[in-house]
Amino acid sequence: MLRHSADECLALADAVLAAVPDGEAEVLVTEDDLALTRFARNTVHQNVAETGLSLRLRLVAAGRVGVAELRGGGADAIERLVRNAEEARRLAPAQDDLAPLAEPDGGDGPCGWSDATAGATPEQRAEGVATVIAAAAARGLEAFGAYSTRATQRAVVNSRGVRRHGRVTAAGLSAVVRGDEGAGYADRHAVDAGDLDPAAAADEVIETAERNQGARPADPGEYEVVLAPYAVRELVAHLSHIGFSALAVQERRSFMRAGERLMSPGVGIRDDAADPLARPFPFDHEGVSTRRVTCIEQGVCRDVVYDTPTALHDGVASTGHALPQPNTIGPWATHLVMDPGTARVPELVAGVRRGLYVTRFWYVRVVHPLRTVITGMTREGTFLIEDGRLGAAVRDLRFTQSIVEALSRVLGISDERRLELGEDGSAVLVPWVRLEGFRFTS
Amino acid sequence: MDDVAERALDEAAVAGASYADCRVVVRTVQTVEVKNGRVARVALHDDEGVGVRVIVGGAWGFAGLDRVDARGAEDAVRRAVRIARAGARLRSAPVRLAPLPPATGEYRTAVAVDPFAVSLERKIEVLLAADAAMARVPRVTVRDSSLEFVREHRLFASSEGARLEQTIVESGGGMDATATSDDEVQTRSHPNSFGRHQLCAGWEAIEEMALPDHAERIAGEAAALLTADPCPAGRMTLILDGTQAALQVHESCGHPTELDRVLGDEAAFAGTSFLMPELLGSFRYGSEAVTIVADATSPRGLGTFGWDDEGVPAERTVLVDRGLFTGYMSSRETAALFDRESSGTMRADGWSRLPLIRMTNINLEPGGSSLEEMIATTEHGVYLETNRSWSIDDRRLNFQFGCQNGWEIRDGRRVRLVRNPLYSGTTPEFWRSCDAVAGPDEWRMWGVVNCGKGEPIQVMHVGHGAAPCRFRDVRVGPA
Repeated sequence: MLRHSADECLALADAVLAAVPDGEAEVLVTEDDLALTRFARNTVHQNVAETGLSLRLRLVAAGRVGVAELRGGGADAIERLVRNAEEARRLAPAQDDLAPLAEPDGGDGPCGWSDATAGATPEQRAEGVATVIAAAAARGLEAFGAYSTRATQRAVVNSRGVRRHGRVTAAGLSAVVRGDEGAGYADRHAVDAGDLDPAAAADEVIETAERNQGARPADPGEYEVVLAPYAVRELVAHLSHIGFSALAVQERRSFMRAGERLMSPGVGIRDDAADPLARPFPFDHEGVSTRRVTCIEQGVCRDVVYDTPTALHDGVASTGHALPQPNTIGPWATHLVMDPGTARVPELVAGVRRGLYVTRFWYVRVVHPLRTVITGMTREGTFLIEDGRLGAAVRDLRFTQSIVEALSRVLGISDERRLELGEDGSAVLVPWVRLEGFRFTS
Repeated sequence: MDDVAERALDEAAVAGASYADCRVVVRTVQTVEVKNGRVARVALHDDEGVGVRVIVGGAWGFAGLDRVDARGAEDAVRRAVRIARAGARLRSAPVRLAPLPPATGEYRTAVAVDPFAVSLERKIEVLLAADAAMARVPRVTVRDSSLEFVREHRLFASSEGARLEQTIVESGGGMDATATSDDEVQTRSHPNSFGRHQLCAGWEAIEEMALPDHAERIAGEAAALLTADPCPAGRMTLILDGTQAALQVHESCGHPTELDRVLGDEAAFAGTSFLMPELLGSFRYGSEAVTIVADATSPRGLGTFGWDDEGVPAERTVLVDRGLFTGYMSSRETAALFDRESSGTMRADGWSRLPLIRMTNINLEPGGSSLEEMIATTEHGVYLETNRSWSIDDRRLNFQFGCQNGWEIRDGRRVRLVRNPLYSGTTPEFWRSCDAVAGPDEWRMWGVVNCGKGEPIQVMHVGHGAAPCRFRDVRVGPA
């Protein structure tokens, strides 16, 4: 449970701002309460919680910037924070082209908040875990995974009048179920822990695990594939990391070429912080309202996301995708949404004469950013598709594949989507996808 | 801090904990970053809190709280106890810990020059000098350099009587030069990729990196890579520099010898291991040239400390002895399952996270060769430097790595620079093909600062002593 109200967070930020002796300042208050129950071999083995409030101060005066951050710190926290930021600012070289602090923009938007998630108890998490363990044990299988609940609030206040507060919750259940000769995977993510449905997740992961026993090797090569959302999230999240940032474009390391069609007409990907299915949050770490940005529209490259420094560079307005400033990472898309298609999931599989169904990718890394080539492994559920039916389990394979090339050969997209998380915890709302070709290398 | 820990242990005893420990951690991180001639960031980050771990009803509970006072200790204990009770009904067997004599004492990282005593002006000066040198090379479009200094005070107290205080100091730095063309992006780094190289050491570690002295070289290499030939494809001899050898050790020996992974604790996230207990002492992991140790006593390693976060003294464990798989990294809980003692590798990412089995310093012991000798005795192959991409399966067998820089070797000589090199293989076959490791003169301690494991994810700083080494008949090709 968060310990501070919205008013208390804003008052804390105001107090920091009031303690700044001169110049401009931006204060970021972030409070996070996270609890997680982890299980392995049908028993709970790790069970944790953490609560912390951090203060971050960016001081700007005479062309110099200093930043201090503090979590914990006791009664003199504000005094220490200001002193540290001022020391850093005083010694930083002066620069004549600093990006300004954000101005109030009057924006507003929804927050993905659930009192039930924020107040979830360890007993409730244990209940969800027990559902998965009992279902696995009843089939003679072993369950592994985690049930987490998290509440986060953020306040941004600056000396130009920005004064915002937002809060968001996240609940997640991930499960691997293992038999003697193979495993399955499923997860669920939601704003409200009541929407996780552990029983449904258990059914899914057990079905995958039981199907994935005694996997046989498959030859490397190019296969037609149907990718589950757990796998599609890797494509979409990596595409974003590689190229959806204005800084990546400015530094000539993005594949994005505005107006050019690089992918199939059915592919649409946007960043939409107001989408109710994508754990919405209305503003970024500068306090700028997060605008909807269409990155790929009907397969055509459109826009990228901006923070204040990259927007200044291009003479445009920030789209509200800043990480805490200043940073060298640049803006970041945190609410990725891929358009659904019209096909039912079984129809995607039914259309494949010979191919592979991939549940999940693992340890995906960028091999060549401009060509959007990534590599990784399949994991916990790769199956042959023969004559439109899911067939034998296949041993895990390594793929090395250009994402853009794969998404230029889309044969179908499901009407159903799942909320997934990127490695950085960002929301990624994705469907099942059928691709004409995907390259497995070993 | 002592009072806070004592308060936590008292409260845990009253609440019925059969075991409790408390860590009070105060961490300060200073970061300085220069990008394209500008000071991009000067920041100081303070973080302090208390983490309490209890066993109640035979189950673990952990809570971390950002209050280092009696109230914080009490609140953390109450939450940890409730969590443990909630999980206890889902425990198949009570937690059992390997015996450990309670230790008392202090430990401090040995530093020649306290990095926090060095002026910010001097730190900025070093980075701006490196940046200016990189800027002299045309076609280099992005220049990034940074320094990071960490000071962490850790107090550990347990209900068994341990009372330990440690002060760990880290100094890190590095730089990247990126060159771009219409169809290529090439980055070269010094001393290592991943942003920086880091050691448990003082400012002297930064001076040794000599960032300005290497800046123009790496910028030139990045530019040259834009038009270099693609890496040749096929099975051939592979020579790795020390930094890439360190990452190869990390991924294919460090992680699979973590005993919690072997037992399935990470099965749903970080994965498991191919090194199952029945293989211990009999499995040929590598060639006779391969000896790998977990050594928390190695000078300057990021995994060097006095005691781990369970209060176990720093130890040296042989994981692979002249090719034979011989050991695991363990905790008190996992060691107890085998009636052994912990190898002292439990580490937590600050006060807010639970200690897990983590790498300390996983070192490939030096051999008797040298880089030049390896090249001179190679008929056809590649010499690869500095990691660019890394991926390995969840059992730590099937891997593929990419490097920033490659040199084709023909008849004992480097004949041409090659770009986008990749190599791939399967762990035991790969290490069994190792026929040479360079000697102590080329052996260095490297720091990896981005090792992720656990849920919630914990990022650990780990060390790897390594030297250039050679492998035969490896699958190599261009990205």
